[in-house]
Amino acid sequence: MPRRMILKRRRPHAFERDGDRTAIRLGEDERSMLADLAGQFRSVVSDDSDPDLKRLYPTAYPDDPQRDADYSGLVHEDLVRTRVAAAETVVATANAVSLDSDQLTAWMQVLNGLRLLLGTRLDISEGDEFDPEAEDAPTLALLSWLGFLLEEAVVAASSDLDDA
Amino acid sequence: MSPAPTPLEVDDPDLDHDAVVDADRPWIVLVWNDPINLMSYVAHVFRKLFGFSKTKADKLMMDVHEKGRAVVSSGDRENAEMDVFRLHEHGLWATMQQDD
Repeated sequence: MPRRMILKRRRPHAFERDGDRTAIRLGEDERSMLADLAGQFRSVVSDDSDPDLKRLYPTAYPDDPQRDADYSGLVHEDLVRTRVAAAETVVATANAVSLDSDQLTAWMQVLNGLRLLLGTRLDISEGDEFDPEAEDAPTLALLSWLGFLLEEAVVAASSDLDDA
Repeated sequence: MSPAPTPLEVDDPDLDHDAVVDADRPWIVLVWNDPINLMSYVAHVFRKLFGFSKTKADKLMMDVHEKGRAVVSSGDRENAEMDVFRLHEHGLWATMQQDD
């Protein structure tokens, strides 16, 4: 698991708790980029044929292929449906002022789902350093930005938990 | 129920003897380390799904990070499958197996 770097903050938190709701503090460019990414995520997840989706559907029974096939047959469609619905929520609320807690959960699932998809595509490993000269630097930068947003969403969502 | 002392005599050739004898062994749900999921997110999911305190969730998350895996729940097979499903829903790498 990557540890997030502590960066000197030059902008407000992307998500800020406001009572029961969470305010989104993102610029127009960031919002339209997220809406675009969530739309792409929706397409890839619904199509369900991209091999890089494998990290979104892990093996439940590594020791028992038969049981795993049964389990997967039972839940796969549900997992796809949850992800499609979450992506649609992000597209629909990308320009919203604030989110309720279900919508915030959907945002977190999409931010994390996109990271799993991109991270698998890039075949990243623990401790990879960012190299701006590398061919995949733009995608790595995107992965990092999504992580930054997810990190801040986690902080905002934590106030819903009992001993926050 | 404890394991039967003598082999069961049954007509059904498909009946899995091991499964019958082992039915009471609890199932454990494991979460594995991966290079993509963020540490803070993993701990958050543990708190949200299992109601763990922040201290307990952070400890389990650090076990995953440092030891490569951690047991996050145990119980009968049905409940373990439900926990695995919820963890998968949140993008965590979870598996289940019967406890040794």
